Amino acid sequence: MNAFETVAPTDGLSRRRSWLVPALILLLVFAALPALLAGFDRGYFYQIANLALIFVLLSASMHLVTGVAGLLHLGHAAFYGVGAYTAALLTSKLGLGFTVTLPLSGLVAALVAFLVALPTMRLVSIYFAVATLAIGQMLYLVMLNWVDFTKGPNGIIVSKGFELFGVSLSGRLAAYYTVAAVVTLSVVAIGRLSHSYYGNALRSIREDDQCADAMGVSTVRLKMEAFTLSAFFAGVAGSLWAHMTGYISPGDFKFSESILILAMVVVGGLGSLPGAVIGALLLILLPEGLRALGDFRNIMVGLVMFLSILLLPKGLLGEVSALRLVRRQLGAAWRNTGPGTGKGEGIGWR
Amino acid sequence: MFDPYYLQQLAIGLSLGMTYALMAIGFTLIFGVLNVVNFAHGEIYTLGAFAGLVLISATAPPIVAVILGALAIGALAGFSLERIAFKPFRRFTDEASLKSRAMRESTLLSSLAVSIVVREALEIVFGSQMRSVPFDYLINTPVRVGPVILVTGDFIIFGVAAAMLIGLQYLLTRTRVGLAIRAVSNNPLGAKYVGIDTDRTIITTFVVGSMMGAAAGILMGLYYGAVFPAMGFTPGIKAFVAMVMGGLSSIPGAVICALILGISESMATTFVSSGWSDMVAYGFLILTLIFFPNGLFGARRERV
Repeated sequence: MNAFETVAPTDGLSRRRSWLVPALILLLVFAALPALLAGFDRGYFYQIANLALIFVLLSASMHLVTGVAGLLHLGHAAFYGVGAYTAALLTSKLGLGFTVTLPLSGLVAALVAFLVALPTMRLVSIYFAVATLAIGQMLYLVMLNWVDFTKGPNGIIVSKGFELFGVSLSGRLAAYYTVAAVVTLSVVAIGRLSHSYYGNALRSIREDDQCADAMGVSTVRLKMEAFTLSAFFAGVAGSLWAHMTGYISPGDFKFSESILILAMVVVGGLGSLPGAVIGALLLILLPEGLRALGDFRNIMVGLVMFLSILLLPKGLLGEVSALRLVRRQLGAAWRNTGPGTGKGEGIGWR
Repeated sequence: MFDPYYLQQLAIGLSLGMTYALMAIGFTLIFGVLNVVNFAHGEIYTLGAFAGLVLISATAPPIVAVILGALAIGALAGFSLERIAFKPFRRFTDEASLKSRAMRESTLLSSLAVSIVVREALEIVFGSQMRSVPFDYLINTPVRVGPVILVTGDFIIFGVAAAMLIGLQYLLTRTRVGLAIRAVSNNPLGAKYVGIDTDRTIITTFVVGSMMGAAAGILMGLYYGAVFPAMGFTPGIKAFVAMVMGGLSSIPGAVICALILGISESMATTFVSSGWSDMVAYGFLILTLIFFPNGLFGARRERV
């Protein structure tokens, strides 16, 4: 496979170029977009930008489990919901702030994922997919029916916005920067995870789990780790959502949301992180851009998904090209430290 | 225990189970017997119900004509579903791609995508609210049987489900078409080598299974008196659970498990609350997958 070809030794020019794209993306996310948003200064645009960023994180976290590890996950929105409910309940019952709820939401979602993964991780293909569907629906039913604890269909009002160690960040621009910072850090972390030896082990499970097992890869354990990690990031996204909108209800975390996230990963290209990010932006921003279509938003999700499976089976940005891009752009950390470059400290392909 | 109240709940559970069984029969034919992952069966069910509703509100024909209309729409929908969501992914017929996970998962995703499109299209055309079926067509006239009260629909559904079950068993085990279906599900390439038109067999299975799905949809619409675009989702899940519990390829197993599911759910509604009764199906699914991976009545499966 192309993905495993070695990287040619790089000279100074391409080394400088390798920082161009990440720098441009950072500039766009942290300077150009906020400037644009501040220029328009309409709450609605901030809302859309934040929503898109949150779905970028959800899509990236699903990329880890569905794209890289190849486990078809149909209940991702439930873990997003667990994170959101954790944040909302901690805020409304214990009065904790965002600084505390953000990591705790991720941890609680990861814990729930770990517990449900214990019995189900040995299932394969369609059985796994349906088991995750069942788990997602069960969690949704808990959110909907455990009225004493979650207030059921009425939802919960989250009274506190973003803050960092007591400093309020609930202004529009500050909130955008908070969401952007958390999402960027998480996406970088997911990128480092999926483009490492660890990610390659997960890929080996996706390609042929029996073979990987025979080669000594501990498949069940790796699957559980990928599932738990992805739930952690989904929980983080849930906390962002709860503090951003100030109100959550079970309807935000139902089956169709899981499908939407799945569609993002599929459209972008299974196994490709840049693809997952692009897919999320496409499926959130396109319906907003085409507001005239109104009710056709969901039908478009289905159509885009169907057409991309049919016409672009590798997605908008296939895995191989995505891997090349990542290695070229973020080269230094996982560059092949072949002969002539000295120490073998890169974490990438050797 | 022999309180008439519980007997009544048991009867309600049985009739609920019957409605699941009705859905599960067609579902198991496509999914379990043919071994094709089809997430769009719930939408076929919805389409059947809406076809019946449109017919009723347009021309008010006799009930038999309504059901025939729904069957025709079901056949058409099954045919188009196979052409749109499954045929394009059978581009290659060599052994490796027929068995590959990638192909199986792409049809899983494509049928999921088609089901979203159909459901949303129905929502745009008919609105997402429940539409009620005209009173004359409802099949819920109460009938008293000993200490419990049933409705006419229970008997109709029982009759239809039994007819479907027997008809399908006959088709699968006694006719050449059934033999071809079983051959294709067992080994598509082998079936091709011995001269079976696999494409046609798959289409036949889809058409028959979808007709059953559509019939289930219209009967349910007449039974509950309400038709809405998302109505196929829950029965689809229940049918899937019944199929997995029954051991995938066994249609009688799926029917028995649908009855068990219906009774358990009605008991859960009685003793806990109706909001939690859906939990029973999901719980059963997970428990079956973990403890009885071969299903309660199924043959051995390689990997679950």
